[in-house]
This record gives sequence, C-alpha cells and structure tokens, in this order.
Amino acid sequence: MIPDRLDIAWIMLIGLALATILVPPLVWRPLFANALLLTFAALKGRRIVLDFLDLRAAPALWRGLVSAWVVIVALFAWLASAIVALL
Amino acid sequence: MSATDCEQRETSWGILEDLPGDPMIWVLIFSELAAFGLFLGAFVVARAVHPAVFAAGQATLETHLAGINTIVLVTSGWAAARATAAARAGRRPAARGWLFGAMALGTLFIAIKLFEYAGEIALGNGLETSAFFTLYFLLTGFHLLHVGLGVVILAVVSRGANAAGVETGTAFWHMVDLLWIVMFPIIYLVHP
Repeated sequence: MIPDRLDIAWIMLIGLALATILVPPLVWRPLFANALLLTFAALKGRRIVLDFLDLRAAPALWRGLVSAWVVIVALFAWLASAIVALL
Repeated sequence: MSATDCEQRETSWGILEDLPGDPMIWVLIFSELAAFGLFLGAFVVARAVHPAVFAAGQATLETHLAGINTIVLVTSGWAAARATAAARAGRRPAARGWLFGAMALGTLFIAIKLFEYAGEIALGNGLETSAFFTLYFLLTGFHLLHVGLGVVILAVVSRGANAAGVETGTAFWHMVDLLWIVMFPIIYLVHP
C-alpha cells in the first residue's frame, strides 16, 4: 500500500515527536534546546493544521490564523526563556 | 428582499462556511485557542518570574509518559483524519471503524494522564504545592477535560457517520491534538 498525504503527515508527526523527546538528553545548551523543541512543536502544529484539520484548501485567513497561534505561543515561550537566561 | 433571502442571510455563517464541518465548531475552536493561548502565556510569564520553582517542579514530571501520550494523541488524530476521508467517500462503516480507533486512543491518553497524576500525587505534589503545580494541574486538567469531551463528540458523530458530522467532530479532535502538541514542550521540556 502506498502511503498517502495523511500517512506521510502521521509519519512526520511521529518522527518529530521522537525527536522532541530526544532533545533534552542530547542538547545541553538551554537556549538552543528550547529553540529546537519549540521549532519542532511549530512544525508538528503546521502538519496538523494543513493535513489533519484540512485547512490546506481553506482560505488563507483561517489557515494563517491557526498557524499564527502556534507560532506566536511557541515564540513567546522561547523569548521568555531567552530573557530569563540572558538576565 | 424576499423572506427566503432574509432567512438565508440569518442562517449564513459568512466566511466561516469555507471551513470544514459546522461553522459553530469553529467559533468554539477559535475561542478555545484564544483561552489556551492566554493560559499558556500566563504559564510562561510565571516561569520567567519564578524560574527555580518551575525548574524544581518540572524535574519531578514523568516526561516519558507525556511523550508516549504525544504519540498516542497524534496517532488518534491520524485515525480521525482517516475517518473524515472515509466519511467524505461515503464509506460509513469504515468511517465508524476509524472513529472507534480514535476514541480508543483518546481513552488511552486519559488513562496514561490519570496514571501520571497518581504518580505526582504520590510524590506529594498537588494543586497548592507551588505555582508550577497549580498551573500544571490546571492546564493539563483543562486539556484532559477537552480530551474527554472530544471522545464523547466522536462517539456522537460516529452514530450517523455522515461527512458533515464527522468533519465537525474531528475538527474539535484535531484542535485538542494541536493544543497538546504545543503544551507538551512548554510544560515538560523547555528549560526555565
């Protein structure tokens, strides 16, 4: 059976989930580790928005709003941790 | 303007009708994203104010259980997306089967989360232990309620298993999935 778009999205999500779990023991620099963790979260969110929620064909406004939510929350979390680390 | 035009205008959801499923579920989804966004923002700010308290609390969490739950919920989301595809193709029995798979995995997520809570409580960590645990239990508990509600919604739409109903139910389920994907690293993994 040839994997379709949903299967590929699921495989990517599992891969990113496993990569997320591996970041803390493998990456010691907190700021870089946090950036990686939150980038993986944003990438997973993007896959869910486009392929599972099926907003790929929806108007750009809705796709952008939901994608922006993921990016804004992840970016805010990283910025807050960066500020604490640099102070 | 005729009475039919007026009626159509009153029942129209405008641009929300371009989204999959019932437009009402999208009003709920956008409201939930806003609420969880603020809640997660509060968690991040509290961690910036009390980094030591949050680091100590985070160190006691069962990260591997939350990691397993991520894989469980993502797989459940995939099953729900498969159910939508089957329902759109008019294959109702297949859609029902995929929905049952999604519900079973959602129930497993709840069981793992309750096991995780039992472990934290056994360590003496509760709602009033620290600012970290107050927010940890409130955020993950609020999300857990949504997982439970999502399982109920999937059960309801699996009865008819028609495309519109399944699209509506799974849209809510994918939102629950999306929330967890963002919550997991912020609560369990990000260094304070």
